[in-house]
Amino acid sequence: MSVTTPSPELSVSASLESATVKNWKAPIVFAVFSVIAVVVFVGFRREGVSEFRFATGSDFFAIPPLVVGSTPATIVLSVLLLALTGYSVWRTSTARTTPIWLVSLFGVLFVADFLAWVVAGNFINATGLLLGSIALSAPLIFGALGGVISERVGVVNVAIEGQLLAGAFTSAMVASMTGNALVGLLAAMVAGVLVGMVLAVFSIRYLVEQVIVGVVLNVLVAGLTGFLYSTVMGSNEALFNSPPKLPQLPIPVLSEIPVIGPILFRQTLIIYLMYVAIFLVWWGLYKTKWGLRLRAVGEHPQAADTVGIRVNMTRFWNVSLAGAIAGLGGAYFTLGSVGGFTKEMTAGAGFIALAAVIFGRWDPIKATLAALLFGFASNLQNVLGAIGSPVPSEFMLMLPYVITILAVAGFVGQSRGPAASGKAYVKQ
Amino acid sequence: MKITARKAGLTGLAGVATIALLAACGQAPDAEAPAASGDVVDGFLPCIVSDSGGFDDKSFNQSGYEGLQAAATELGLTPKESESNSEDEFGPNLNSLIDQNCTMITTVGFLLASATEDAAKANPDVEFAILDDNSIEADNVKPVIFDTAQAAFLAGYTAADYSKTGVVGTFGGMEIPTVTIFMDGFVEGVEYYNEQKDADVKVISDLYTGEFAANDKAKQTSKTLIDQDADVIMPVAGPAFQSTVAAAEEASGDVAIIGVDADLVETYPQAKDYFLTSVMKEMSGAVETIVTDASAGNFDNSPYVGTLENEGVSLAPFHEFEDKVSDSLQGELDTIKAGIIDGSITVKASL
Repeated sequence: MSVTTPSPELSVSASLESATVKNWKAPIVFAVFSVIAVVVFVGFRREGVSEFRFATGSDFFAIPPLVVGSTPATIVLSVLLLALTGYSVWRTSTARTTPIWLVSLFGVLFVADFLAWVVAGNFINATGLLLGSIALSAPLIFGALGGVISERVGVVNVAIEGQLLAGAFTSAMVASMTGNALVGLLAAMVAGVLVGMVLAVFSIRYLVEQVIVGVVLNVLVAGLTGFLYSTVMGSNEALFNSPPKLPQLPIPVLSEIPVIGPILFRQTLIIYLMYVAIFLVWWGLYKTKWGLRLRAVGEHPQAADTVGIRVNMTRFWNVSLAGAIAGLGGAYFTLGSVGGFTKEMTAGAGFIALAAVIFGRWDPIKATLAALLFGFASNLQNVLGAIGSPVPSEFMLMLPYVITILAVAGFVGQSRGPAASGKAYVKQ
Repeated sequence: MKITARKAGLTGLAGVATIALLAACGQAPDAEAPAASGDVVDGFLPCIVSDSGGFDDKSFNQSGYEGLQAAATELGLTPKESESNSEDEFGPNLNSLIDQNCTMITTVGFLLASATEDAAKANPDVEFAILDDNSIEADNVKPVIFDTAQAAFLAGYTAADYSKTGVVGTFGGMEIPTVTIFMDGFVEGVEYYNEQKDADVKVISDLYTGEFAANDKAKQTSKTLIDQDADVIMPVAGPAFQSTVAAAEEASGDVAIIGVDADLVETYPQAKDYFLTSVMKEMSGAVETIVTDASAGNFDNSPYVGTLENEGVSLAPFHEFEDKVSDSLQGELDTIKAGIIDGSITVKASL
């Protein structure tokens, strides 16, 4: 048999061997968004210039504002989007996947296109937009990290909302009474741990359906903090509900870098802790013995048990740890942001964090990115409202949720959780 | 064995939750000992239902509640109250008060309008006063509304006069009439200033946080306004002004805040350095008068409308900003106020 002229049946089997499933999802999504860009941003083009400011007043040199004509910018960016779509189609037709950097680039260009269109005749502060996104994401990120740990070890954590709320309440109260925000942070972690322990005890020891325990805990914490807010805190606001806020801790020199400085190096302690926590959870989960055991217990508790890992103990302590992280997120509401507790102030952040866990496929880094996306969408809605966007405000309020749904439905595809998540483990 | 343990666990948890909820619902006020009072109609029992904000919202629920308490204390009565946690509780709460022989019920907020209307139709003998709503026409319902646009107009003028950057802003909790009337009046005030002084002060409105809470969202909204160069901000979202204070503290420039409903310098003195003025709504006074009148048998269904003229709405003093506002401002405001009262200046925004 000659190599240069393969027989018909051989060439068929060769093509079968190399046959791969072409996944058209990415190019289709790209095409849809490109069409939106062309029809809306170019079709309904707006007059005037769009100005993007970067300076924050504390930089050692001010980046001059970027001023672009709205119409030319949208045309250029829309053409780029079409080009990326074409590239993605070509890659798919030659049976190659669309890499993640291409998706990211497409997303960034689309947002830039949208901004160039919507800001026409106005200005926005791009650094402020990003800073606000991080601020709005912070509790979601803490909540999501707690959720990832808890679910990876095999306990569904619907109680993130309750943990955030408990953390917010306790940190405000304790920091207010001691006059020390750091003690408040510790108290928030303790409160989160307590809620986590209740969840752990009921779901591990008493084998109660985990989702139900989580929901009941959320209601319990909301009722309890609401009650204590109106009775205890209401009786003496000055003593119980005027905690010191965490001060900004600018890192010398680094904090004066434009754009990056304010975002990474001019933050409060709790945001620095968040950056550290993201790294530690990722590193711990994938690079340490602790993480390996944790994931084993969540995927296949029986196997973990046979090699001598104490399944239920591992679960108990890690669910508690998850509570501590989520509780810290709660402290952000009071000590990091507003400086005082109000009834049900978390306003569903815990559930968005839960969505971020699933959207991020139970991975700390991806869950963080999901939370950031949500924070960005919420803040974008604020900024667009302020410059008087052509889109009605009711629709703008929906924006973060719409983006979350689109992202979950469109980009994630089937996401599979830890195999044993939600199932109590009973030794046979 | 296993199942028993599980059941016991769930029951225990549910029990704790129930107790917490009951505790949250059932806080009784300090009851004053009833004293005999001469001219109270026999069997008169004033009651109040809150909307989902609760009676401790530092806003209109609280003001209405305090007005009722003041009237009741004066009359030597112990009012009954019902705090709603969500919209589906409005109807049941009203009915349970009626079952307890309430003869006059104050319902707080236009969200209770349909529940109040239903209860009023079903119980023609019971008198109702509904705050912030004038949609109901019935013999036994007295609407209580406030033309806050008039006072907000003055606030807008003040903000435009005070602003150094030439940009002022306002944001609301939700796009509902009782909120937008403040914002619209404010915008009109700024426009009037521009007209009179041939100025070009920009006003940013149309921003909504989606809820009445002092949360991070409200803070970011305030920051967004500051990023847009606004140096006077009027938050119309209940306790959200606390978030605006937090944003103002972190701002690099000076930011002044205008309060709504109550004089914030009095209700939140710890941040008095930030409050330029407040648009006040004399809700508790109105409720007190109406309840006292009703107790003497003088209830009627004619709407009560708080205006600048009857001092149902007003602009608070400048307090800490007394020296920072321009010298001529107070005089100009007095002239505008007189103009609004005599009709020579029209404020278009209304409920």
